[in-house]
Amino acid sequence: MNYRRRAGYLAYLFALPFLLLFTTFVILPLIYGLVLGFFRWDMLSPNPARFVALENFREAFADAYFWRALMATVRFVVLAVPLTIVLALSLAVGLNRVPRRRQAFYRAAYYLPTVITISVTGILWRWFYNSEFGLFNASLAPFGIKIPWITDPNWAMPSLVLMTLWWTVGGPMVALLAGLQNISPAYFEAAALDGATGWQSFRSITLPLLRPVLVFVLVLNVIGGFQVFGQVYMITRGGPELSTRTLVQYIYETAFNNYRMGYAAALSWLLFLVIGFFSVIQFRMMRER
Amino acid sequence: MSEPNRSRRQFLTTALTLPIATTSLSGCGRSGGRKIVLRFRNGFTGPDGRTMLRMVQRFNAANPDIEVLMQRMDWATYYNKLFVSGLGGRAPEVFVLQTHAVPRFARARFVRGIDDLTAVPNGLPVADLDSNVFEAVHIGDRHYGVPIDLWPLGMYYNRQLFREAGVVDERGQAKPPTDADGFLDAASKITRRGSGGQTDRWGFVFTNFESNVYTLMLQFGGRFFTPDYSRCVLNDPNNIAALQFGVDLIHRYKVAPPPENYDAWIGFRQGKIGMAFEGIYMLADLQKQKDLDFAGAPVPVLGTEAAVWSGSHNLCLRGDLEGKHLEAAWRFVRFVSDNSLDWAEGGQVPVRRSLRRTPRFETMAVQAQFARQIPYVHYLPRLPFIFEFQTEFGLAVEKALRKRATPSESLAVAESNINRIIERERNAGNPVGEMPV
Repeated sequence: MNYRRRAGYLAYLFALPFLLLFTTFVILPLIYGLVLGFFRWDMLSPNPARFVALENFREAFADAYFWRALMATVRFVVLAVPLTIVLALSLAVGLNRVPRRRQAFYRAAYYLPTVITISVTGILWRWFYNSEFGLFNASLAPFGIKIPWITDPNWAMPSLVLMTLWWTVGGPMVALLAGLQNISPAYFEAAALDGATGWQSFRSITLPLLRPVLVFVLVLNVIGGFQVFGQVYMITRGGPELSTRTLVQYIYETAFNNYRMGYAAALSWLLFLVIGFFSVIQFRMMRER
Repeated sequence: MSEPNRSRRQFLTTALTLPIATTSLSGCGRSGGRKIVLRFRNGFTGPDGRTMLRMVQRFNAANPDIEVLMQRMDWATYYNKLFVSGLGGRAPEVFVLQTHAVPRFARARFVRGIDDLTAVPNGLPVADLDSNVFEAVHIGDRHYGVPIDLWPLGMYYNRQLFREAGVVDERGQAKPPTDADGFLDAASKITRRGSGGQTDRWGFVFTNFESNVYTLMLQFGGRFFTPDYSRCVLNDPNNIAALQFGVDLIHRYKVAPPPENYDAWIGFRQGKIGMAFEGIYMLADLQKQKDLDFAGAPVPVLGTEAAVWSGSHNLCLRGDLEGKHLEAAWRFVRFVSDNSLDWAEGGQVPVRRSLRRTPRFETMAVQAQFARQIPYVHYLPRLPFIFEFQTEFGLAVEKALRKRATPSESLAVAESNINRIIERERNAGNPVGEMPV
């Protein structure tokens, strides 16, 4: 009993550094941000911050640029998340058949882009995408094809998604591969003895047993997708014609270019609500069955 | 005991002593000299930063009672940090502001006026500064900084492409155009279709269509706001004509590729573009390219009057600076201004007229060409919400150049959006026109 209590205190002691940092840099700013959302605080203004109740939220609902940014974000999520997961799953299933000794190399190779910072990746891909002089269009030129990758409002978002696939598919792939390797080979052997085809055992064994990992990867990707910023900031800066200005980019501009802190805080909370809404749905999915 | 244990202890020891070691290195330990420490921040992260750092070292060596500590970071991060540190009362003593940023920082009262410092005998010779450049930091009844340079938009042109297209003078040298007819003639002669039927050489390119179209509008005699900034008048007939000229370069004369924004610059570096309008700060980039035969010239007058967009770097002082720190900071500002010819080596045009008359400046060929435009440079509008203006302006220009709206339609939308921002600011009690002092 005594030992147990002491161990309990000790656990808190070990958690303390994290708790302190978490409180200082996450919890307190969150509360501060929530309070800020109800104030009009323009750092450029000679006037002090002023309580305006729900005024910022009312402005957001009437702000065409807010809705445009939300739609751009949704478009990114709808394109990027399913593609990432399908690609990651295909790669993981494929890799799972490679002998273990050689797997490490491929796993590292697919994971490598994730390690590169977005500033490097961003500049690199901006050059690839340059429609007059970039690598992609230079390769397509012999076929007479010329794609306005990031200069056409209809192409820019898919291009960002493509770049994101290359950049981020490694993470989910590694998670899914680990999940696959946890499935006992006995199931597949039994299914094979019963005459199941590859597709049948994938559908009836792999997918159901992989479900927890899949949902986990899905939730993380949806949250990450709604927060997309680095790619946009580095490659298109929200253009062309604001077609890729996502919510985080808009919040960033509102706060750090226009210095409208209260309004930016309110927008952040709206983004939080959107992400929270989708996360709850997905966690419900995880709990079912 | 065991190996990992020892290395952990080693790590802890290092981690604990490291901060102590660095503090004593950074000079805080040397309290005996009682130096006045000035923090100097700027956004010079390119080669210009190294030039400035050398000037700071020279100043420190020549002024043993002062220590200037320079810190630099990219402009976007820099402005955010400057703003936040200003709010917390921890702003650096001396900092650099680009002219378009001065109104916002002045309105927030982060910057000190300098007129009392220039007024004294033997003060900074303001008469030697280009008056229109110095006027750009004149807000209300004060000047809020000392301009050290300016970066007018200028024309870079590829001499080899000019010669190949036969756009030459009597001696066979590339001849840069000076007016609209010459410009269109040169551009169409240089533009060339490749074997696949696609254009592989362009006469002109919009590298930065905001600065380019802003310059066109100035040249066509356009206006952006009423003089008191109470209303935006972007949808002005002259602005429409200027934007239409830009659209025509792409879609009617077909001498420029569709908007590529910034990366079209790579095309110029690759030698596939005849002419581009860019800032002087791109010079260092071109000088690295040994196989590119380029030169600089003033932007041709494509409208009815000579005008180009420009910006400047200004040395500014913290709003509440006084006493010996003020004296030390001002000595540093004067040093940089007096030596701004050194600064020009980093790819800038100095704004001290006496320095531009020196033989040394004459040898800086591109700078000297761009400097010819100084009498007619224009800055961005004086707005606290300058970024929102730039967003709306850029969007309107972009839509028109892509032919997704006519110039008049897109400018009308931008004008009404900007007027709504003015309305918003006015309702919040924020002055939009002349800044308070």
